[in-house]
Amino acid sequence: MLEIKDKQHQKLSRCIMYLLFQFALRTVNSTRSAYAYMLFSPSFFTHYDDGSALLKSNDSEDEGLRCKVNMKSMLTVFKSLSSIERSVERCKITLNTPEARLVFQLYCRHGIVKTHNLAFIECETLQAVFSKDLTPNRLTAHPKLLCDAVINFQNNQEEVTLIAKPDKISLKNYVDDEPDPKKVVLTEMHLDPNEFDNCQLGVDTEITFCLKELRAILGFAEVISLPINMHFERAGRPIVISIDSDKTFEANFVLATLADCENQTTHTQSVSQNTSKHRMKSQSKQKRSNNSRVKSTAPSTSDRSNGFGNNTKNKRPAPSFDEEFEDDFDEMICNDPTVDQLSRVEHQNIPNKNTTASRSTHPVTVPNISHTRQSNTPPLQSSSERADSPVIPMQCETAKISFPAETLNQSEMQDLDEDLDDTIPGTPPSKKFRSMIFGLSQSQDSQQSKNKPLQNVQVLAEDTDEDD
Amino acid sequence: MSLSTQQADNDSQYLMVAKLDNARHVSTILKAIHFKDTATIFASPMGLKVTTEDAKCVQANAFIQEAIFHEFTIKEEQIIFKINLTVLLECLTIFGNSSVPGVTASLKMCYAGYGQPLLLILEEDSVVTDCSIKTLEPDEVLDFDFCSTNVINKIIMKSECLKEVFSELDMTSEILQILMSPDAPYFQLSTFGNSGSTQSDFSKESDMVESFQCTKTQTNRYKISLLKPTVKALGLSTRISIRTDNRGFLSLQYMIKNEDNQVCFVEFYCAPDEELDDEPGH
Repeated sequence: MLEIKDKQHQKLSRCIMYLLFQFALRTVNSTRSAYAYMLFSPSFFTHYDDGSALLKSNDSEDEGLRCKVNMKSMLTVFKSLSSIERSVERCKITLNTPEARLVFQLYCRHGIVKTHNLAFIECETLQAVFSKDLTPNRLTAHPKLLCDAVINFQNNQEEVTLIAKPDKISLKNYVDDEPDPKKVVLTEMHLDPNEFDNCQLGVDTEITFCLKELRAILGFAEVISLPINMHFERAGRPIVISIDSDKTFEANFVLATLADCENQTTHTQSVSQNTSKHRMKSQSKQKRSNNSRVKSTAPSTSDRSNGFGNNTKNKRPAPSFDEEFEDDFDEMICNDPTVDQLSRVEHQNIPNKNTTASRSTHPVTVPNISHTRQSNTPPLQSSSERADSPVIPMQCETAKISFPAETLNQSEMQDLDEDLDDTIPGTPPSKKFRSMIFGLSQSQDSQQSKNKPLQNVQVLAEDTDEDD
Repeated sequence: MSLSTQQADNDSQYLMVAKLDNARHVSTILKAIHFKDTATIFASPMGLKVTTEDAKCVQANAFIQEAIFHEFTIKEEQIIFKINLTVLLECLTIFGNSSVPGVTASLKMCYAGYGQPLLLILEEDSVVTDCSIKTLEPDEVLDFDFCSTNVINKIIMKSECLKEVFSELDMTSEILQILMSPDAPYFQLSTFGNSGSTQSDFSKESDMVESFQCTKTQTNRYKISLLKPTVKALGLSTRISIRTDNRGFLSLQYMIKNEDNQVCFVEFYCAPDEELDDEPGH
């Protein structure tokens, strides 16, 4: 059991920012284009006590602790997998709430006990909105098949394209705008649908996503030796790789995919996440709209987000789902005729965006606006970074940003600005453009922030003709 | 043979001549204390003692007894000189580091006296290498004044379990805290790093512990950067003795077995980090 956990941590090491522990672990990478979610049922552990008996929460909705731990710290606990496998007999994880410490105790051979006290901070739930079951395409395979396939790609290959056709499934390396075709090595690998345990293809698809992350996922899957399911749809929609054949835990990895250049209306559908196959008692505690707990970094929108949250809460479906929007699906599709327009507008502005993160979109945060980015738009950074596309739907004009303030980097700030603009229909794109250019750190003051750049713009060199 | 008498005549000019079948016996031990470029060598009829120091806080001593050498002659009671340890090690391992069984480089070390270089002659498979390393004026070495009568706590254990712990020490922590106590948790190593604190507890009942003599509960902190070099020695050793005295000074003694099952000792002394504690001066 511990091994699985270890491997999982190791494999996620590359793309880490946050880890939420709740007998569920969630992480998202720094550019928010990959999201991992692992749910452990109590049966995964030899002993599980969520302290519900002792829980006294101020907020009646707030049951169960959501906290985040720096991934690096987590990895120090499981630093040496081989030594863990050799010497650790059991692992005890406790939450020391008064001191804000997540305590890992590794009981090793020879009477040695290693205790790691990791600092955690409480946070909101990181939630990706995605649907596994509604995707038309689904492949199930033993990780070995895919491992053998990806091993053919060069180690520095960043992205891979999966082409699914009824007669064959192909993997091809993705080449970003390389001016000289002669300098590029193209690798293509074909797999017969029969090689997969299960192959359901609703639509012919060609999607591109990050190979590095796939490798990490496959590495993990191979260690635990369980088949993986790939759920995907079309370019721009995320691919969900899930491991759910073990009764004791479930792992979901959501990877953003490159938007198809022809397809600009990628975020019309909203999908809901279906993760709860396990009836865990704490699940019932968590079934509330995440939205209501989600705190927007922009005070101007926080009310709206709460408002939105309440809406969805009312629509909360059966207890088997937690944090979901399934019922909102239709509502969201129909809701926003303006959405596409705005997105296209943003779209034009994006090329000038000076982002450091290649993934400027936020596929993995709850009601966030997704930004499409044409694959042929030359990014300002190196060609190895790619544009991705979003997952999340526009829930409604009022729904907003869910990620905690401290995660915001330049690009996210800018996205926030755009998000905020979207909430005010008819906001002229030029303002957004300016705000993007000037990359403000205080996205909360959306109005002010828009004004400031205007002022900045107006400060120009003094007219030399002026008398002085 | 005339050659050997010639050699013997040549050797008579040296204050110290040491011959060894396998240079690795010496190079391995010296690597264990190689955290500084220069080392002071003390040669006496008992053998060689090589000392390295850092920051006036930590000192490592490697003892290569006279019995390790198959020939060891010395004309004076004590010979002291300083030498560049990095260069010395490079010369000793000039035939490479790989330990192919059966193939060894034999070593002959000669020292003619004050101001003279240390001569090394290494031979492997009839390839001979001559090295001449300049010697330096020896500095004063610290005397930690660590005598066994002042030892408060002493633990002798097998190195195995500590190897892992030491190699995985959280380097973001500035200090390593060592707690030794007759009561639980008996022996505890703690670090306080960026991610949080980590403790490793070793029970005195553990089968790794060979001897446990702790009289008083003591918690001492040492700069982790000073103790990191001990990891190498720990890796080579089979047993370790950990002692702290009344001043909080730490003595780590490692028993290292070489390829011929001969035993050598390496010891480290480290002064405690006195930042917060008000320890009485010594």
